[in-house]
Amino acid sequence: MEKLLLVDMDKCTSCMQCSLACSLIKEDLFDPARGRIKVLKKEELALGIELLCEQCDTYPCIEACPDGALSRDEDTGIISVDAEICTQCGACVEACQYHGIRLHPETDIPIICDLCGGDPYCAKHCVPGAIVWVDKTDDLVKEKKKLRSARMAMYRTVKKEAA
Amino acid sequence: MFGHQGKILHVDIGKNKIWVEDIPEEWRKLYVGSRGINAKLLWDYCKDPDITWDDPRNILIYAPGALTGTTAPASGRTSVTTVGCTTGLYLKSNTGGHWGAELKFAGYDHIVVHGESDKPVYIHIEDDHVEIKDAKDLWGKDINETDRLLKEWHGEESRGLYIGPAGENLVRAASVHCSLYHAAGRGGAATVMGKKKLKAISVKGSKPLRVKDPKKFAEVAEEMRELLRADSGAQGLHEFGTAGSLAGVNELHAFPGKNWQTGYTENVFPITGQALNDGGYLKRRVACFGCTIGCHRYSAIDKGPNAGIASGGPEYETFGALGNGPGVIDTEGVILANEMCNRLGLDTISAGGVAQWAIESYERGVLTKDDTNGLDLGWGKLPELLEIIEAMAFRKGKLGDLLADGLKIAAEKVGKDSYKWAIINAKGLEQSNVETRSAKAYALAFAVNPRGNDHLMTETFAEFGASPEAIDVVGKITGDKKWASPHFTEFRAEIVRWHEDCYEITEALGFCVFTSTAAYGVNPDNMARLYAAATGIEMTEDELMLTGRRVCTLEKAFNVTRGATRAHDNLPWRLMNEGAASGPLKGATNSQEELDEMLDEYYALHEWDNETSWPTRRTLEMLDLKDVADYLEKLDKLPKE
Repeated sequence: MEKLLLVDMDKCTSCMQCSLACSLIKEDLFDPARGRIKVLKKEELALGIELLCEQCDTYPCIEACPDGALSRDEDTGIISVDAEICTQCGACVEACQYHGIRLHPETDIPIICDLCGGDPYCAKHCVPGAIVWVDKTDDLVKEKKKLRSARMAMYRTVKKEAA
Repeated sequence: MFGHQGKILHVDIGKNKIWVEDIPEEWRKLYVGSRGINAKLLWDYCKDPDITWDDPRNILIYAPGALTGTTAPASGRTSVTTVGCTTGLYLKSNTGGHWGAELKFAGYDHIVVHGESDKPVYIHIEDDHVEIKDAKDLWGKDINETDRLLKEWHGEESRGLYIGPAGENLVRAASVHCSLYHAAGRGGAATVMGKKKLKAISVKGSKPLRVKDPKKFAEVAEEMRELLRADSGAQGLHEFGTAGSLAGVNELHAFPGKNWQTGYTENVFPITGQALNDGGYLKRRVACFGCTIGCHRYSAIDKGPNAGIASGGPEYETFGALGNGPGVIDTEGVILANEMCNRLGLDTISAGGVAQWAIESYERGVLTKDDTNGLDLGWGKLPELLEIIEAMAFRKGKLGDLLADGLKIAAEKVGKDSYKWAIINAKGLEQSNVETRSAKAYALAFAVNPRGNDHLMTETFAEFGASPEAIDVVGKITGDKKWASPHFTEFRAEIVRWHEDCYEITEALGFCVFTSTAAYGVNPDNMARLYAAATGIEMTEDELMLTGRRVCTLEKAFNVTRGATRAHDNLPWRLMNEGAASGPLKGATNSQEELDEMLDEYYALHEWDNETSWPTRRTLEMLDLKDVADYLEKLDKLPKE
């Protein structure tokens, strides 16, 4: 059965296990900056906002890339980067409406969540249940979008306050 | 390097000097990290007893654990070590939050601050770039404002550690705050920072951490994570916070009220973790770095005259010290008092302990309105409690100055038998909110604790036998599960010593002690395996536990240089002489006789001298601490064998 990743900000305790786990499985080391999932932490509000590729339906990142380095899997929506073609310009980072793409701190190549090929490692580490990998249903697709909207609304509030 | 970053950052704020040193390889085997290596550093720099807490030669050491920054569950904690100001003895205080991991990512395992500045400064670290900066715009600012300014100057992703007005004013109950709502509260490390005029350490790091065997590491970390996920204690901590167990403790008549005059409170619900959930005060469950439990709270008041008040907590201890203790059985009341302490940089345990003593002293006529800034003190009076806290933090008036010096000095100053209700032992730290009269391993652990009588150098919760895991731990230590009951005095020495070792290695690795001595997911066996996977340093469970013993003995030896003897290992007068008010052990005390019996066994088990309590040369040498024995001999503080 098809699955999806539900990401609920209200259950997030900002522990950073997800980012650490991601850097471990992808690069054999620990570095939150190398997590394909990022937690934007607002310490004074005890808030953590998870940011990651949502495998969205509009994928503006693909359009934004001037070199055609990004491609999308039709079935899963997963975005891949061709490191040979990528010029590390960062246009995809700017284009992502969910703030889900970052440049690798060493190579500047975009790092994008690939759901670990169908078994997201971060979800196993999220004991509070803010990140869960569940069977896809129509209701849960709606729920995923609702949770995402809540995160994005909070992201905008937080960024506006900072500015 | 694997596991550790391998670096100690030294900053001399008196001489304006900064240097970096490698962690000697041998230390990683003998002392492991954090609390352990801190103890070694404090010994090396400050063993001379002429170095008092306020001497510029005193150092402050801050260190995340050997595994902080990894997916080891709940491994993000930081130890702060110095010559403490409250007791004048060894002080280790430990904090959660996200600052320690950030320091690790900046490339350092330890920061040592030397010297004393003549004007307020703060330290800013961004990887290899370390600067001592002018803190004139931070001095006088509260914790929240300090954090806001540091983030404005150094970025939203920087992490701060700081003191508030209380630390600046050399209040002994001052606490070091870390990532806003977390604190190394106990013993006055913040007062040492205030004396050195060090306001804050801001840090931002970008260096990854590597472990020797990532696959093996992930396996053992997963084992710990799944044990904690299944543990009912850990689940309760996430759901209701540390204060979730208060109603149960109250049922045992072990929830100290009115300055340890009561153990049971009718209608206790408003000052429990459950009340935060039910009343809608709980806004978020919060985790320290890398913690899969998330026991910390973020609470706020939405309605009424106090709408908008928000802070971290309140924790178990705060509902005790600022709730049940002063008789404020009111959720919002404790939230207000807690927020004020967090903002001004006060340890809620010591602030509450001092406040309770002041209230009782006033009730007994030992303090009058002339001493209390005109306040009519009494149990259950919230406005007066808030006034006490503010007076203390700013040393306002006669009351503020009296209370700011802590119970040890205040009770001496006031005299008139007021030591009888000052809940401190001979070392002088305000006791944490534990009823030791009905929990005998706690009583022993509190008495021998090198930093004073509290539960944060070791915790013997297992003696209550509250879960199958706890009963197993007691069975493993004593050989018989029947000893898992807090009313026994037998085998308490064994239970305490095992927990000392376990607690020490837990902290040395950066784990939260809840994972090994309150909930049960982390234990000496899986810690040894995880440390080996991280560093390549292979140790058995027993060898790792021995490093804990080494550090505890070194901490003890440090106190011996300051004149500590067996007489310092006692309990507050009230608990030794007045019976518990109610409950299964109604009338029970921690009598000197009972304590002596446990102390004899405890010192024998440690192979320390029974009369003086001092470690012997043989014991020190068995623990690779020959240089410590040599130094104690020079001071004539080595027992005759």
